[in-house]
Amino acid sequence: MARDIVTEPDLQFTKDLIAAGGGDLKKCYQCATCSVACKVAPDNNPFPRKEMIWAQWGQKDKLLNDPDIWLCHQCNDCSTQCPRGANPGDALKAVRKMVIQNNAWPGFFGKLVGESSMFVLALGIPAVIVLLILMISGFSFPEGAVKYSAHHLHPKEGFIYLPLIQIIFTAALVFSIVSLVMSLKSYWNDLETNNPILVGTARKGFVPSLLEAFSEILPHTTFKECEANNIRYTAHLLTFWGMIGLAVTTAIVAFNVDMLGLLPPSQNGPGTIPIKILGNISAIAFAVGLGIMLFRRLNVPDQAGGSSYFDWFFLLIICATGLTGILTELSRFAGWAAGAYVIYAFHLWFVLTLLLYIPFSKFAHLGYRTIAITWAKSAGRNVMTATKPKCVSAPPAEAAQS
Amino acid sequence: MDHKIGVYIDTGYGIGEALDIDALSSVATSEFKAIVCRAEPYWSAPEKLAIIRNDIATENLTAVVIAGPSPRVFQQEFTFENVITERVNLREHVVWCQPANDEDTQMLAEDYMRMGITKAGKYEDRPAYTDPNEKALLVIGGGITGITAALGAAGAGYQVYLVEKEQKLGGWLNKFSKVFTGKPPYDQLVDPPVQEKIKAVETSDKIKVFLGSRVFGISGAPGMFEVVIRPDGPWIEELDSVQNQWLAEKKAKENKGTEEPEPAQTSQEEAAKLPPMPETLDFDHEKVMVGAIVLAAGWRPEVPSELEKFGYGSHPDIITNVQMEELASKGKLVRPSDGKEVNTVAFVEMVDDQIAHPWLYNSAVGSLVALKQAHYLRKTNPNGKAFIFYENMRAPGQYEKFYRSLQDDPGVFMSKGSPVSITNGSSGLTVEMKDTLLGEDLKVKADLVVLSTGMVPVTKDSAVLNLKYRQGPFLPENLYGFNDSHFICFPYETQRTGIYTAGCVRGPMDILSCETDAMGAALKAIQCAELVSQGKAVHPRAGDESFPQIFVQRCTQCKRCTEECPFGAYDEKPDGTPLPNPSRCRRCAICMGSCPERIISFRDHSVDMIGSMVKAIEVPDEYAEKPRVVVFICENDALPAIDMAGIHRLNYSPYVRFIPLRCLGNINMVWIADALSKGIDGIMLIGCKYGDDYQCHFVKGSELAEYRMGKISETLQRLVLESERIRVHQLAIDEYAMIPKLVDDFIEKLSEFDPNPYKGF
Repeated sequence: MARDIVTEPDLQFTKDLIAAGGGDLKKCYQCATCSVACKVAPDNNPFPRKEMIWAQWGQKDKLLNDPDIWLCHQCNDCSTQCPRGANPGDALKAVRKMVIQNNAWPGFFGKLVGESSMFVLALGIPAVIVLLILMISGFSFPEGAVKYSAHHLHPKEGFIYLPLIQIIFTAALVFSIVSLVMSLKSYWNDLETNNPILVGTARKGFVPSLLEAFSEILPHTTFKECEANNIRYTAHLLTFWGMIGLAVTTAIVAFNVDMLGLLPPSQNGPGTIPIKILGNISAIAFAVGLGIMLFRRLNVPDQAGGSSYFDWFFLLIICATGLTGILTELSRFAGWAAGAYVIYAFHLWFVLTLLLYIPFSKFAHLGYRTIAITWAKSAGRNVMTATKPKCVSAPPAEAAQS
Repeated sequence: MDHKIGVYIDTGYGIGEALDIDALSSVATSEFKAIVCRAEPYWSAPEKLAIIRNDIATENLTAVVIAGPSPRVFQQEFTFENVITERVNLREHVVWCQPANDEDTQMLAEDYMRMGITKAGKYEDRPAYTDPNEKALLVIGGGITGITAALGAAGAGYQVYLVEKEQKLGGWLNKFSKVFTGKPPYDQLVDPPVQEKIKAVETSDKIKVFLGSRVFGISGAPGMFEVVIRPDGPWIEELDSVQNQWLAEKKAKENKGTEEPEPAQTSQEEAAKLPPMPETLDFDHEKVMVGAIVLAAGWRPEVPSELEKFGYGSHPDIITNVQMEELASKGKLVRPSDGKEVNTVAFVEMVDDQIAHPWLYNSAVGSLVALKQAHYLRKTNPNGKAFIFYENMRAPGQYEKFYRSLQDDPGVFMSKGSPVSITNGSSGLTVEMKDTLLGEDLKVKADLVVLSTGMVPVTKDSAVLNLKYRQGPFLPENLYGFNDSHFICFPYETQRTGIYTAGCVRGPMDILSCETDAMGAALKAIQCAELVSQGKAVHPRAGDESFPQIFVQRCTQCKRCTEECPFGAYDEKPDGTPLPNPSRCRRCAICMGSCPERIISFRDHSVDMIGSMVKAIEVPDEYAEKPRVVVFICENDALPAIDMAGIHRLNYSPYVRFIPLRCLGNINMVWIADALSKGIDGIMLIGCKYGDDYQCHFVKGSELAEYRMGKISETLQRLVLESERIRVHQLAIDEYAMIPKLVDDFIEKLSEFDPNPYKGF
């Protein structure tokens, strides 16, 4: 399987990985404890051992086209058991960041989100857009019951001129989706052409593989395998389904308001009770899940792994979105109109940031991981399942004697 | 001489309960007429020792026999001035391994008592040999090891003669760019710390330095070595070539067969080929007398011809790690071919199946040098890349910290790997490696390729010491071509007494290890000079004052003793009889076993003494159905093992009688013949493991014993006895659990034969 390729280690790539949170990767001495510790690594050519030496040797091409890095759910079983403190979990995370940044379309956004020096600009762009919306809507709070948006500027019935939100947020969503699709397409191409993991030619089709991937992702079956940090499975499951619930809520409300012209739930439009229940339960699940993850990241970094700028950026946006969303609702219940409006403005800012940067922030993992798992399914590189023993146990003593 | 013997039976440790002490005492008093015989518990207690001392004074005892615990314990307590102490092991060898109050147990104890008292009665009174009294030291080699050894010995107040072949001191350290600090945090390099040491040597009034000189010849023995130092010149090549040829012929002869060399004729011829020390030295020289010698002659890089197939020698940018040091000492690294700055260096550990003793080429030193040289590059070139390909990365001790600091450096790329090829293309050198940690073959481009070299002791090319010994001018070497200077676990000790090796001449070492080694060897040399001046042996029988005496009138000039001595202690007199050099002797008594005339003896260990012990054993007649087996055991490993079997209360046949020897190489055929003709049913020999990883304290004693037993068939045929009656075993000290099986299996085997028909004769 020797490839007749002269190895040019990319020193800069190794330095970038170190800067992106893989600070200890050079310590690895290839003992393979990590690959044995990992509950989800495949038997054949397991990760993260091989990724560690590729990282040390600046093997950019291999790492950027390696689907295995996404099969890792970063439970940190490997990092907690590494005898040299090389933290393979963090190294893989750093590689994932590099993949997102490398496949970003347009490329500028990869840098914008990925580099700490761009922080002000990254938050500034959506802030300016939201300020623009506010300016056009007129900086004033409407009288009477809290009404966030309305179809008319004059008289001012709601805080914000609704068509603006509809146009701008839809545009942002479309931009995100297009970007994500373009980025993932580039990644899929890489996986297809330069993949360092050699597999047989027998391949499953894309759609069945994708469906299989979904059936694994939705209940988090693989995630459940991780041991050291098992609570993260619960936390992520809550956040994941909370997020989906919130997205569904938003979609129904948008459909009701925009298409059917019904009043939004905040104004007690028709049939809003189930929508409210769904929205609130989702929000609680989302908040609890995030809270657990945040708490553990701050309090048990040994298990949760190191935190880089890329992590914090994503966490900031997603937490701020959730927090402002909930505060908006609470201040409305409290009858504090001014507070509700101001917080709502902030909520819009973070939602827009979140939307815009889906393909470039850590949020993009929802796309990349799905694609990588799909590729793994199509290539028959299945992630371990609970029923399959990791090690073949020794035959019973009697059998050995006979 | 007739000894006045006192016997002291220890009834403690369960001995009193298990044996009939009165019967045992009567063996001493009625059979042997011991002057005193007392039976009490725990003779090692101070008040009991006072009783013995009182008996010695009042009864004028010359020998005491302590029958109790193993001779391996309470040695200090049972040492009485001017009185011989003999120990009978009733504890580990009798009551702890045999059933109490059994007839056979009693017989066993009584036999041991007889043997012990017989042995005590055979001690001779001979003064120690105290002629050698020179205490100056000779240090050969003026590198870091030699300098350190010289300073250490001079610091302890001893006169030192330091011989260096170059015109200045310092050796390799004059050529090295940087060395490890040996100090926390262990991740830095410093200039070689040799200049201060050289200055200290030059200013010391205890050290006389001979620059540009070599040792022409060494004769004599520890405490009285005569060393001729001669300025370097073409004479050394002539001498080396004669001596090397002699060695090559000797080895060729040895490899031909395992036959014991028919010594007389052939070895005399061999000896004749070597130039003896000239009567008159008609050249510029200096003669010094020394007590002991430190050999720190160092190493040279070995560039095997196999490296040529990797382009070494045909491309200027493929260099050895030694050349790399010279390159680095000039400052910024530039390519030898075009003087351009070096950006990538590949360090390749050259291990090839075809190289003999590959470990010499990938020792810890090789790993450390690669790490150190990668550091040179990274220090001078921040964008430089260093590839380190190793077979085994060895960074022992605190060097691990240096290794880690380089591992953390993003510009250092390490992987296990074996070289496939090094090619020179239009874009520069390409190194191809296989079996890498990346899981695939690898090709990297490099501006400079640095190959590891072997470290070969200079003693591989030259005898250096040029000993004027009967066994030749060389130090015996081990499997890997280094001096056999660590036999068993005795560092620095060579097979030439009084000569201690240190530094890279005895194994690949880094500078810090060399310095430590130098101090160790210097201390050993001082101990040697001091001990021999008191007439005492050095390691491993340190303090032994006995030495071999030869009844020359009966010598047949067979030369077995001179040939078989593992330490080359014997020279030869003009008439062909052996010339013992007692201070070269390690008192192993292998010569005693080798002598067919049985004329070599020690004051406390002789053919007669052991033979008499065998004869002291009471052999019941054949109708008693109590066979007797004599087991000759090595006292260094087998004896402690048997003691341990006793401590663990392992049971075995009561029909065996153990007789400890200094070394199994003491075994003399006459003992076997005596035992068999007395009616002993079987004889077992238990010695140390031998071969490449020998465990014999005296290098080849157990091997010689086994070899001699191979020739016993003649004796057995003469006696019309089965050859299975004699068995030889190799036993490691920790294999005590095997002893019951060894013994019982042999007894079982003997039961297949009729009893020895010579019983009762």
